[in-house]
Amino acid sequence: MRLELHKLHVKSLQFGERTNFSNGVLTVNKSELLNLISEDPLLGKNLSIELAVPGEKVRIMPVKDVIEPRWKIEGNGQVFPGMLSGVESVGSGKTLVLTGAAVVTSGKLVRFQEGIIDMSGPGAEYTPYSKTCNVVLILEPSDPEMDKHDYEQACRMAGLKAAAYLAKSCADVKADEVEAFEHSTMDNTPGLPRVGYLYMLQSQGLLHDTYLYGVDMKKILPTLLSPLEVMDGAITSGNCVSACDKNSTYSHQNNQVIANMLKRNGKDFNFVTCIVTNENVTLADKKRSSDYAIKLAAMLGLEGLVITEEGFGNPDADLIMNCWKAERLGIKTTLLTDEYAGRDGASQSLADSCPEGNACVTAGNANEVITLPPMEKVFGFANEANVIAGGWDGSLAGDGSITVELQAITGATSELGYTKLGAYTV
Amino acid sequence: MVILFTNNRIFLNRVKNLKLINLSAYDVLIDVRNSIHLGSHLLTHPLCGNLKPSQQPFRSVLLEEKKGSVDFPSLSLIEEAIAVYRSAGSLAATQNYEKVTLNDYAFIDFELMRASLEHYRVLI
Repeated sequence: MRLELHKLHVKSLQFGERTNFSNGVLTVNKSELLNLISEDPLLGKNLSIELAVPGEKVRIMPVKDVIEPRWKIEGNGQVFPGMLSGVESVGSGKTLVLTGAAVVTSGKLVRFQEGIIDMSGPGAEYTPYSKTCNVVLILEPSDPEMDKHDYEQACRMAGLKAAAYLAKSCADVKADEVEAFEHSTMDNTPGLPRVGYLYMLQSQGLLHDTYLYGVDMKKILPTLLSPLEVMDGAITSGNCVSACDKNSTYSHQNNQVIANMLKRNGKDFNFVTCIVTNENVTLADKKRSSDYAIKLAAMLGLEGLVITEEGFGNPDADLIMNCWKAERLGIKTTLLTDEYAGRDGASQSLADSCPEGNACVTAGNANEVITLPPMEKVFGFANEANVIAGGWDGSLAGDGSITVELQAITGATSELGYTKLGAYTV
Repeated sequence: MVILFTNNRIFLNRVKNLKLINLSAYDVLIDVRNSIHLGSHLLTHPLCGNLKPSQQPFRSVLLEEKKGSVDFPSLSLIEEAIAVYRSAGSLAATQNYEKVTLNDYAFIDFELMRASLEHYRVLI
């Protein structure tokens, strides 16, 4: 399989008469985009679109999802299969990417649990989405009493539609850069270990769900997925609980574990495949999925497995089961997670553990407290700071500053490694 | 018998077998542990949902209630869950949620249990 990402480097945003890209500027026809998302009868009349670029004194909250605009210009299927378009397999051909741009959806679904993106100041250092040029959709339901499943879906679809629309509108522009990826499960450089990626996805219920080709992850058995399919939006996010360690659709499209494993494929190891699995609530499902995922790994002759978790608490049990079941079959594991170790970092980081889990990468402690200074503009609903995850009564001060745990910041401790926190060798 | 231990009244008349505990989420876990000591098996993870103990006032756990020897995997999971709650004790903020917020927490607690309740055919 070969996929070319045709990248347009977006450095700024503006509203204009025609949605297009030129000289680093993405121009957005506001009314056309508003009309597109307003087609959904589940969304209300007072939708709005705002633009936020890095360095501005802007706060976006509460954030539901972040999506990178992409559109397939050649090859099978279309971006976000099973959600927007057909269900054909994706991951080959050519895909246009508005690199540096993102669609951010914001709306009140429940009175807690959505994230913050600050475009400048100390909070901006913790979220990768402070460095993207953000087209912000501020959404509301057409009926305040609407079923929350319906409204959640409407918000999710609005973001995907907007992202596809923006990229499609620029499909005739020559790319600034073309990045090609090739991958075959059959490639096997002799002498190198066979390594796979076990990709754990949230599947607990409303606000905790993920979709694979449009299928609710809680209803699948673990399966194989090409790393290139992920780049075309085969996995879409339906969760934002809690904001720091929930994989946005953007972080799936730009999965750094996949990107780095592809770079080292054939050099340091053979990157055989991704195995996607779920994180259900029912214990029988956990046992079934972990058994099944590790069985697939063993059938493929894997010697090593990188495992990424999504979330904490309940999924810690899945992570640990995946770890020891692989290790006891002789498959070495490395785990990527984050921590809930208390504000002083002294508490146990995960709700579960096992002696086999002796190689673990952390994306940071979600309980660390940060004070975010007031911003000049807030896109969304600022008073939600008191009720979002990681906030508490009185989090929002009179001057507009917010004191919260990192948990409240979108992508702050991404367990896909798409984070600004890290240690670097100099 | 499949039974739901919960402190969330939203489940009243919506689940076939219910043990409603009119106390905190932590107390639900303690009652679940006591039942496991008598031989019950856990059917759902006791920490479902990605809300911190200090935020989510509700906790619901599905059990197969029976008498007999202790199921050690169940015991291990419930003890780990209780440990998470205990370590979170120092973090707990006083949450005086408005009714609408409380209702949302109750609703999400229900939604996270929905698939399991359907699976075990105890949703009315």
